Parts: sequence; structure tokens; C-alpha cells
Amino acid sequence: MSSNSMITNGRNAFGAFVDGVRGRWATAPGWQRWTIYILLIVGALLLPSESIGGFMSPYNDWASILFFPIGTYIVLAIGLNVVVGQAGLLDLGYVAFFAIGGYLMAILGTRMGLNFWEILVVGVLLSAASGVVLGAPTLRLRGDYLAIVTLGFGEIVRQTAENTDAIGGPRGIAGIPHPPDIDGIELFGVQIFHYGVLDPRPYYYLLVALAVLIIVFVKRWERSRVGRAWAAIREDEDAAEVMGVPTFKFKLLAFAIGAAIGGAMGVVWAAKTISINPNDFLFMLSATIVAAVVLGGSGNVPGVILGAFLVAWLPERFRGLSDYRILVFGAALVVLMIFRPEGLLPSRRRKAELAEGTGGMGALGAEVPGPEDQPAGEGVAK
Amino acid sequence: MLLEIKDIHVHYGKIEALKGVSLEVDEGEIVTLIGANGAGKTTTLKTISGLRPLSSGSVVFDGRDISALPGHKRVLVGIGQSPEGRGVFPGMTVTENLLMGAYARKGDFSKDLEEVFELFPRLAERKTQAGGTMSGGEQQMVAIGRALMSKPKVLLLDEPSMGLAPMLVAQIFSIIKEINNRGTTVLLVEQNAQQALQLADRAYVLETGKVVKSAPAADLLDDPQVREAYLGGSLGQH
Repeated sequence: MSSNSMITNGRNAFGAFVDGVRGRWATAPGWQRWTIYILLIVGALLLPSESIGGFMSPYNDWASILFFPIGTYIVLAIGLNVVVGQAGLLDLGYVAFFAIGGYLMAILGTRMGLNFWEILVVGVLLSAASGVVLGAPTLRLRGDYLAIVTLGFGEIVRQTAENTDAIGGPRGIAGIPHPPDIDGIELFGVQIFHYGVLDPRPYYYLLVALAVLIIVFVKRWERSRVGRAWAAIREDEDAAEVMGVPTFKFKLLAFAIGAAIGGAMGVVWAAKTISINPNDFLFMLSATIVAAVVLGGSGNVPGVILGAFLVAWLPERFRGLSDYRILVFGAALVVLMIFRPEGLLPSRRRKAELAEGTGGMGALGAEVPGPEDQPAGEGVAK
Repeated sequence: MLLEIKDIHVHYGKIEALKGVSLEVDEGEIVTLIGANGAGKTTTLKTISGLRPLSSGSVVFDGRDISALPGHKRVLVGIGQSPEGRGVFPGMTVTENLLMGAYARKGDFSKDLEEVFELFPRLAERKTQAGGTMSGGEQQMVAIGRALMSKPKVLLLDEPSMGLAPMLVAQIFSIIKEINNRGTTVLLVEQNAQQALQLADRAYVLETGKVVKSAPAADLLDDPQVREAYLGGSLGQH
């Protein structure tokens, strides 16, 4: 069993600790879990406090950083995790759905005069639809080919925005409305539903609410029949099909859900940002979110959140190093991938997949052996 | 006739992998498909289970043309498969793997699980072990057990002996016999012709995408051509 060899292995003491916590969590009674959930949410709400801001973000306003990039990356990573981590489909153009959400907010808000909440609903639905439109022709491809096509799709969306004068071309769209205010509700001196220009905290709270909602949905899917189907597709698509899993349908569903989450984040982000332009949606963002997912522990929501937090926060924290921070950041990624190729907090299942050494990354197609010894099988399949 | 394949042609791009293969499997039989690497054995099975589209010809199951039926629906009509290279889900436990086999069915599977565990006592000892950490033989047991969980009328087995030690091969083959005795029809693809022919009722010999011989398995065991090509029969007589 892999966890045994891990405990004996000093390098993986961290992994053993995580395993212990996870074991306890798996058997914890309901009230304990709920307490932790509530503490986590309260903790998230208290995060934009000045008292830690000085350390966490010495170069920028901490609460602003919390909304973007940290919070935004976290939500995007949770969304992308459905596609990459759950269904095992490598999507390198995820930024497209973020862009579609952002542009929907901008267009519907400035031209049609819809308010934020209406646009959020429309944005989620249309982004999901765009996920289906992209997925229907491309999900017949696998692995690397799918990655290339999605990468292309991300660029197509950006280029289209850049070359369509009706939506501002390269200048983008300005004057995007904020969400409607509900004034008078104050908590610790913050007007929590007043969406102005100066105070980023109300947006951050909105984002936390969105994230919590998304996490609840995603976890429920993960434990359902749908989640089992995704796991089967990720681990062996042909085997899943002959087990009676309609693989194409479920891959499309994963794409649509991922797209809807990306779109929702796009709407919220645009509603704070006032103006957007095509250069907000570069391939670099897709790559960063993929890095967050893989680094944190593809397939495991807490891991993905941690990964996204680090990927967003580290460059901000070390902004003082100016361009060298990217070098340091890259080096940190390389070191992590050497010592923990399965991610910081991988799901147990993912660890077993990696230990097998073949289908480990699902349709990601990467054939990386796990950090532990290979199982003594009579020649692993394939 | 339970399963009937009529003159199927299958292409990978421009390359024709199957050039008009026809075969029949009657209820209760063990039929084996033998042939060298690249003869089209696996492609034939994949076409039956719906993983490969066919260019022409037809697959008829239980009197119904299923040529256009997608793979996941063929499980429902009664085709169970243990795919090439076993295809065990590495991150799922043994029990989870087996339950995936019953994915398309509804209801209570505890009895079916018990039946599989009775057939493979080894798996019963390892219910919570992850599929990917098991040995090749155990993975093969999971793959067969998982296919049985779909309650198939015909069980398609793709090289169950691949990569296994001779003792394990014998064990797996006797379990296949047992499965057949309990009423499941078996279509077995094998490179290990000797053992497959001893087990099967009838056999087809596939060569570069064509059936070159079909006969009762016992006859093929004595067939000089087959002995020469697949059983190493004439070795040492030159």
C-alpha cells in the first residue's frame, strides 16, 4: 500500500500528515464538519483585515488583491478542476469562458441596461452553452489534441473580441455598471452591499458567496453518479464506455459546468473592473489556472484552492523583486513538480492513479511515475 | 444465434484493419478468436462492443442489428467486455471498480458483488485496495468480475492471459470455464492459442483482417497449418 511506503519515507512526512488529517476528516461526525465549514467561511470573510494585510501584501491593497487575482483565480481553478481534475480533459483555453462572462456583463450592462443579477444568470447560461458549442465538435479528440484545440478556442475568442468593433475592438468596453447597492447594512464599519469604486471588500464578499455556492455544487456532483462517471472517464475512457457510461455526454457536461463557473466569475469580475479589453484574457491566464490546478492537487477541491491561492499570491507578495519574482515563481513550480508531482493536496484517488504510472493524469496523457515506488505488478498494462 | 458479425470492414484512417470478418457465437458457447499480433482480433472485439465504428457490414445481437448503437448502450442489451490491457480504473477500489460494471443497471448489487467475490476469492480479500496498485493477475480478475457485474449475455474477453504467469493463466482460464458453465456465453480473443483452443468449443483464426479458418477448437489443435503457425508444433522437427 502506497501510504505505508510514504510514512517510512522522510521526504513525504508532509504527505503522511495530510493523510492523517484526511483520515480523521473522513470519520468526523457531521457537527464537527459543519463547525469547520462555518469557521472556514467566517475566516474567509475576515481575511481582508488590515492586521494581516501588511504582511500578506506589502505592495498593494490587500483587499483588492484578495478579489483579484486571489479570489478570481480560486473560483476559476475550481471551475477548471471540474474539467481537468474530475473529467480528465486538458483544457488550455479556459480563459475563453472567463472572457465570455466578462464580455456578457460588459455588453448587457452597458447596452441593454440589465442589472448585475440578471446578467449573472444569463452569463452562466450562455457560458455553459458556449462550453457545449466548443465541446460538441472537439470532445471527440483526446489528450494532447483536445488541449491544442481548446488552446485555439481561447485565442479565437480573444481575437474575435479584438477584431469586432461593435464590442470595442482592442479598446474593449468601459463604463460597466456595478452590482446594485443595498445601502445601510454595515458590518464592522463596512457597507457590505455597497458596490462602489473605492472599497473592494463588498466585491470580495460577493465572490466568497459565489465560491461557497460553487463549491457546494461541485462537491455534490463529485459524489454523485455524475462524479463516478467522470472518474471512470478520466481513468480509462474506453473502459468507461463499455461499462455503460455515456462518455461523450458526461464530457460535454463537465465542459458546460466548467464553462458556467468560468463565465460566472467573468461576470463578477467585470462588474467590479468597470472596463475590460481583450488583453485581460490572454493565454497566460489559462496557463496559470492550469498550473494552479495541477500544483494544488488536480481533482481535490481544497488542493486546488490552495494551488490557486499560491499561484495568485506569491507573485504579489514578492512584487518587490520586480521581474525576478516570475523567475522565483517558475523555480518554485519546478521544485514542486519534482517533489510533489501529484500536487500539494492530491485526492487519494489521484494518488493511486499516479502510482499506476500510465493513465495517471487521465486524458492529460502525461505518463509520470508517482513519487513512490512502482507497484510490483507483472508489467503494468499498456 | 446470439451474436453474429456479418462481413465487417473497419478502417483506421485509410488503413483497413478488418477486411470482411464474419463470425457467429451461439448461446452457451465459448468461441475463441486467435491470430498473431495485428491480425485484427482486438479491433473485432472493439467493433462488437461499439468502441470502433464500422465502415460496412453489420453486428447482430440477439436478432437485433446493433451496428449503429453507441457503445454505452450495448452494455444494456447484454454485451459485457473486459477491455484490452484490462482497463481497470486505477484510482478506484476493487469494490468501486466492480460497481462501475453495474453502472448502467439500477437496483441492489450486493448479491452480484457476492457472486463475483465467490468466483474470485482473491478480490474479496482486497475489496478496498486501489485497482492501480494490484498485480496483473488481480487486475485481470477485477476486469472480468467488473464485466460480469453488467449481467452480460455474452462476455467479450480481450487477451486475459496477457502478461500473466503460466499458473495464473491456468487459473483465469478455469474461471472462464466456470463462468461459461454458469450460463454466460464467452467470446475470447487470445494470442495464447494452445490454451484458448483447449478451452473453447469453436475457434476462428484471424490473419491480417480476414478469417482464414473456422472450425471446432479441437480440430484446430490438430490442424497442421495452425500448429505450424500458432502452436509452435513443428519446432524441432526440421
